[in-house]
Amino acid sequence: MSAAVAEAARLLAASRAPVIAGLGTDIAGARAALLLADRLGATIDHMHSATLLRDLDVMRETGLVLTTPGEARRRGDVVLLVGDGLAESLADVWPDLDLAALPRPTKAPERRVLRLTSGNNRAERTDDGPRTPTARTDVIDGAGASLPQLVAALRARANGRPVRTPAPLVDTMDGFAKILKSAKFGIAVWSAAELDTLAIEMLCGLIRDLNARTRFAGLPLPPGYNAFGVLQACGWMTGYPMRTTFARGFPEHDPWRFDAVRLVDSGEADCAMWISSYGAEKPLWRRDIPLIALSSEDALSPPGAQVQIAVGRPGVDHAGAHFCAKAGTLAHFAAQHETGLPSVAAVLAQICNALDGIGKSPC
Amino acid sequence: MLTCITGGYVIDPPNRRDGIGDLWMENGRVVTAPASGTAHATFDATDRIVMAGAIDIHSHIAGGNVNTARLLLPEEHIRFDPRTAGMPFATAGSSTFETGCAYAAMGFTTVVEPAITPHNALQAHLELADVPIIDKAILTVLGNDDYLLALMRDNAGPAHIRDYVAWMLDATRGLGIKVINAGGAAAFKENVRSFSLEDIVPAYGVTSRRIVETLQRAVIDLGVPHPLHVHCNNLGLPGNVDTAIATIEAAQGLPLHLAHLQFYAYGRDGARGFSSGAPRLAEAVNAKTNVTVDVGQVMFGQTVTVSCDVLRQFMARGQANPSKWVIVDGDSNGGGIVPYKYRATDFHNVVQWAAGLELFLLIDDPTRVFFTTDHPNGAPFTTYPEIFALLMDRELRAETIASLPPAAIEMTSLAALKREYTLNEIAVMTRSAPAKLLGLADRGHLGPGAIADVAVYAPDKDKAKMFRQAALVFKDGELVVRDGKIVQYRFGRALSVRPRADRTVESRIRTYYEATYGFDAALLKVPDGAIGRPDPFETVGCNG
Ligand SMILES: [Zn+2]
Repeated sequence: MSAAVAEAARLLAASRAPVIAGLGTDIAGARAALLLADRLGATIDHMHSATLLRDLDVMRETGLVLTTPGEARRRGDVVLLVGDGLAESLADVWPDLDLAALPRPTKAPERRVLRLTSGNNRAERTDDGPRTPTARTDVIDGAGASLPQLVAALRARANGRPVRTPAPLVDTMDGFAKILKSAKFGIAVWSAAELDTLAIEMLCGLIRDLNARTRFAGLPLPPGYNAFGVLQACGWMTGYPMRTTFARGFPEHDPWRFDAVRLVDSGEADCAMWISSYGAEKPLWRRDIPLIALSSEDALSPPGAQVQIAVGRPGVDHAGAHFCAKAGTLAHFAAQHETGLPSVAAVLAQICNALDGIGKSPC
Repeated sequence: MLTCITGGYVIDPPNRRDGIGDLWMENGRVVTAPASGTAHATFDATDRIVMAGAIDIHSHIAGGNVNTARLLLPEEHIRFDPRTAGMPFATAGSSTFETGCAYAAMGFTTVVEPAITPHNALQAHLELADVPIIDKAILTVLGNDDYLLALMRDNAGPAHIRDYVAWMLDATRGLGIKVINAGGAAAFKENVRSFSLEDIVPAYGVTSRRIVETLQRAVIDLGVPHPLHVHCNNLGLPGNVDTAIATIEAAQGLPLHLAHLQFYAYGRDGARGFSSGAPRLAEAVNAKTNVTVDVGQVMFGQTVTVSCDVLRQFMARGQANPSKWVIVDGDSNGGGIVPYKYRATDFHNVVQWAAGLELFLLIDDPTRVFFTTDHPNGAPFTTYPEIFALLMDRELRAETIASLPPAAIEMTSLAALKREYTLNEIAVMTRSAPAKLLGLADRGHLGPGAIADVAVYAPDKDKAKMFRQAALVFKDGELVVRDGKIVQYRFGRALSVRPRADRTVESRIRTYYEATYGFDAALLKVPDGAIGRPDPFETVGCNG
């Protein structure tokens, strides 16, 4: 590996505008990547920034009521699922959502699940055998209407405002609105991977409206690859989310300017490091660029990488802290089996040492 | 290595030093002057004031809610200063790194983050590990957590509760326990919109008062040095001085700390139904020597309020400025982040500003009133120098009062108060008393054996200037600040207590979490190896 580390350091030292992207790594890896970026004057981005920033943009513009997966599971008597493909991500966060009984402190009515789908690309649950008792589930199939349109219509009906939606759908909407308002502690679940900012803002507005009379909270599903954990580390270390540059010796954040794909494809970046320690994600840029890839061993490195370094999977090959979807917070995980594969943090520390060796300004 | 700070005016009340002399340090500790021998390094402190490093007992500098505030308000911390070599992120606005540098520049060397829910403990410690220079600690927040409330509902004995509290302190690496609007966050999940000391948490059948008493008892029985740290009900509401006084009475003569008392120092007098209740409250504090308080001073300007008092933050969302906010119904307390701007032209804000100063000036004993702004809730901690100046200089107070709306000032007694804090009292309030309150025997003073955390100030008629930029600061005997500028990064430790608990409690808690929340409570644990720095923790002993 030492040759690869030396070559990585050489490429980075020669670069005027490097970008550290992917960032699919644990907290230690994210901290090390941020320190390296600060030292190099590089830009940092995460493979799921676009998704994460949609939720974040709504937060930075408006008001949000959120809850944790644990509290949603325990108290959520009405669960509004907004989206066509939530089943898979929900399985990580809330595997027993469809159970009717709530571990709620008060005697609550049984859980009621409402699904709002556009009717396009609906992913059906295929897994479970018989489970008892199952929460009653009602579906609004938008029959081609977009999710933003459906969310807007539902919010309007919940506030008694007219909508230009066909009458049968309005009746179903009204039924949904009535159930939402009767919730004791309702939960709205969405994934920013399939909603745009306006739809998320509309949904968060609906949650705000409902809280005037009852309790309702949002549960946005986090993208994978420790995106939320990396966001936290970026936040405390720099004050900003990812898509931040250190080119001028202090952090500057701009979701458009510092998008790694745009930087590479436009030619503004002249060297890239791609970090993907959880699996086989590949960069989405199209242009050839001097590339250093740190990937989990079972992931094939991106084509064209000048330097490839195999790293371990956090919490599998080595211990690490990252976002735990079930707990909705950062947690530390011991290695399942030590494989000797290095962590991202360890590799980046070696690259830093190599940079010292070739006289690239120290940290 | 033997180091000597020579010829400074040493103010060290616990060791009765108040005069010119030398201060010797070796291997990170204060030592007696060697009989012979010369220092390897000397620092001239002639015409300078020498004190122990200051200790902040209540400042929200880490954890999920603080980080959400950072991400909520990127526009509030844009900076354009390139950082200096060797100090990554030192100029990154509101970052953990800037936090450590700004505290150290003022001569603070230990800071307690007072509101970390068990859920957020690992993240809080990871954030604190990236706060350079200073040592730090968290207080673990209990009192709205389902497990505790269920134990109380089911009339579990004190031993069960004690074991649970001990397990939580140990798992989360807390220095003490804080309770925030006891039961209020749990009640809010049941759609309760106002909650006071005698109110009952729905579904659990326990009163707020009983939660406070139960946790107070557990903390005392476990021998945790820091008394239960209480954020009372009804924060910010007119007439809430009665709530604070009732909570003081509820302490029943046993140790209890009331946080950011200014936010409870409100009467209902006057045409606008809002007045300072600080004189009444100060009188109540003066009468009860078992009670300690910190002030939570308000200063005018933009800030963001960050609190685990979800109910109160939700009710205050309409006042968000800029108009955006986040409320989290978390496991146990959760939190609320509401930006706010205190204005010198606003009647309520001026009463708040004056009430805080009244508490400082009317509470007689500087060992029982602590210096805080409840950062960032009353004001950012970077306003401390201005507050020191206001406390030490009545002419400055008079000038400031003259610039404020008289209608508001008249609802307070501030204009009549002539007291001026002495440097000795400042040293007690910000050094020795906090160390004692937290059980840190080797901090807050400069006696032999003390940790060599030392702040050296250049006296100035402008007291704010004096405290804004320490002339020299030593952390563990190493120079870290010169003329208000950081000279090197080093990383401190988090202080925590590890009271003994019955081992069987762990399996009970884990079974409960698995059934209730669907995850393993062992995930709440903060192991040394998770922090990413050598020796991240220092254990503080429990009593008995
Ligand atoms: Zn506070």
